[in-house]
Amino acid sequence: MIFALVGNQNCGKTTLFNQLTGSNQHVGNFPGVTVDQKIGEIRSVKNCSVVDLPGIYSIRPYTNEEIITRNFILENKPDGMINIIDATNIERNLYLTLQLIEMNIPMVLAFNMMDEVRGNGGTINIAGMSQDLGIPIVPISAAKNEGIDELIDKMLSTAKNRVYPKKVDFCGAGPVHRCIHAISHIIEDHADNCGMSSRFAATKIIEGDEDIISRLELNQNELDTIEHSVIEMETNHDMDRNAALADMRYTFIERICARSVVKCKESKEHLRSVKIDNILTGKYLAIPIFLGIMFSIFWLTFSIIGAYLSDLLAMGITGLSDLADTGLTIYGINPVVHGLLIDGVFAGVGSVLSFLPIIVTLFFFLSILEDTGYMARVAYVMDKLMRKIGLSGRSIVPMLIGFGCTVPAVMATRTLSSERDRKMTILLTPFMSCSAKIPIYALFTAAFFTEYQAIVMIGLYIAGIAAGIIAALISRRTFLHGNPVPFVMELPNYRFPSFKSVIILMWEKARDFLVKAFTVIFVASVIIWFLQTFDSRLNVVANSTDSLLAVIGKFISPVFEPLGFDDWRVSTALITGFTAKEAVVSTMGVLTGTAAAELSTTLSSLFTPVTALSFLVFTLLYTPCVAAVAAIRRELNSGIQTIAVVIAQCGIAWVVAFLLYQLCSLVNLT
Amino acid sequence: MLAFLKDNLSTIIISAVVLAVVILIIINMRKDKKAGKACSCGSECGSCPGSSVCHK
Repeated sequence: MIFALVGNQNCGKTTLFNQLTGSNQHVGNFPGVTVDQKIGEIRSVKNCSVVDLPGIYSIRPYTNEEIITRNFILENKPDGMINIIDATNIERNLYLTLQLIEMNIPMVLAFNMMDEVRGNGGTINIAGMSQDLGIPIVPISAAKNEGIDELIDKMLSTAKNRVYPKKVDFCGAGPVHRCIHAISHIIEDHADNCGMSSRFAATKIIEGDEDIISRLELNQNELDTIEHSVIEMETNHDMDRNAALADMRYTFIERICARSVVKCKESKEHLRSVKIDNILTGKYLAIPIFLGIMFSIFWLTFSIIGAYLSDLLAMGITGLSDLADTGLTIYGINPVVHGLLIDGVFAGVGSVLSFLPIIVTLFFFLSILEDTGYMARVAYVMDKLMRKIGLSGRSIVPMLIGFGCTVPAVMATRTLSSERDRKMTILLTPFMSCSAKIPIYALFTAAFFTEYQAIVMIGLYIAGIAAGIIAALISRRTFLHGNPVPFVMELPNYRFPSFKSVIILMWEKARDFLVKAFTVIFVASVIIWFLQTFDSRLNVVANSTDSLLAVIGKFISPVFEPLGFDDWRVSTALITGFTAKEAVVSTMGVLTGTAAAELSTTLSSLFTPVTALSFLVFTLLYTPCVAAVAAIRRELNSGIQTIAVVIAQCGIAWVVAFLLYQLCSLVNLT
Repeated sequence: MLAFLKDNLSTIIISAVVLAVVILIIINMRKDKKAGKACSCGSECGSCPGSSVCHK
């Protein structure tokens, strides 16, 4: 059996999904965390799955989330639906419920957050409400695992016994009622052929839903009759068709709520959130507070906690490398194999691995920000700025994801309904500094900007955002004309971060970083070591400047000469960064033959503070890794446009780094 | 031949282990790529908005 889990955004669907399946899907205190369907087996019930669908407010096919949810229900025909609603905000949530009831699929309504309703003095007459709606209702608290077993029992019995929603005529009497029923009769046979409820199809036709109209394969005569009925309804009701349907649904909701709901007073959580928001999202304080928070996070990560733990790990890796070095020497291992292990694997993987604590620490703080509900406020605060540069506020979600990784960020752009907004967001998302670049920043800031590490770090992140804004402004005025589509987002209440959520996110980041270090970085380090140890005739070289890699590196290095770093090892590191950005650090480690703990010191022979800054800016802005380029190619569906994006990013990176270096040289900064 | 193997046994073993590890990693990465798991984005696939694209 398959159940569809449907509900508004941020009403606790993924929390309920985790409770039902025992899985650990990422639960965000951020509307729109789920933008695709996820499937899981219901615990303790054999052959029974539940599909977590994206949060929606209606069944109209306008947003990607609505299309995914609707197509799943219409095409997969689940055995049952669980409609989860936020019981503290019952009226708005029931609007979707009425549309789901019209689909005539066995369904159970889960009233979530009932503990909050009770805690704030509210009550809901569950039996009365169930009678009015014609479907079973189970009060639950997904976060506290209350009522989940009862919900499972109810949904299983409803689906097994094929208990369809009772016929409740919530259109009342009047023009809307007459119109819906008239159309229902006209399309009944067509709807049956499509396996669709005629009432659902009728309301969708009234709303002008092209998808449903084409599925029903109505002839012109039927379409003309339907249009005539709808126009008559509009005339008699003195409202347009969409407003008339919304009015019909809300009138019914108001009527049943008046009978069964004693509204809770404004919750303490909401009152507290409003007070906090007066400060955190205030007109003048929002941006300075955001910058202050980010500065504190970077300072704690890169100068205090993360840096300390990273140094400890680097010392451990160096100790292990020395131990392996001694062991290999004692056993008289061939010098080439010895070099492969110590200068290749240990130097390469070790140099990257030592930054694990920094990644984990940074994501510890960021997951707290997200779980408290602050990240949603960041999206709200930034929305005003986004609209000024011609982007929809919806673009903020992919951009925020981009600070983690460009690949899912580029994929997340498909939630944008406007093609123009999508293209523009894909163009600027790679400028958001992804987590793979953190080891590069941490290494260079520790080596050259010890006292100003946090400032340089936050400066790099801001520079990335600024580059994105400029790119958006230019593209708006040149090839992506038009206006952004409106953005509506529900701000969740502030809450204390969940320990489980924070730990899960930290573990996921650590695990993925480790997997990457021991796969991509491992192989890249071995290849780099091979290329810098042998020449074109596969003879071992005495000096790496005669190696195969040096030949390639020296060919490319003149490109970077105007930027202040023309050493072939640096150019090679930038090229390997195409595979994964962490490979820039591992390549530096392999090419300089330096252990993790001493890499910062070695860099002083290759860079000055100004050339290091120029290098950092280039790294920040040049094209992301090959996986991200593949994602861009997939989303743009055009090889030429993808190449143009890559060339544009490399070009912008080169020009900005060039200007920075030349400007610093002009004022005699070194 | 035997003398060579005896003299260089440790080198041969270590080389074989490193080679085996590299081959295993490459095979695994290729397998993951075919299975649509080679996102290499350093992110968790379950919470990725595009997971259904990778994991069809």
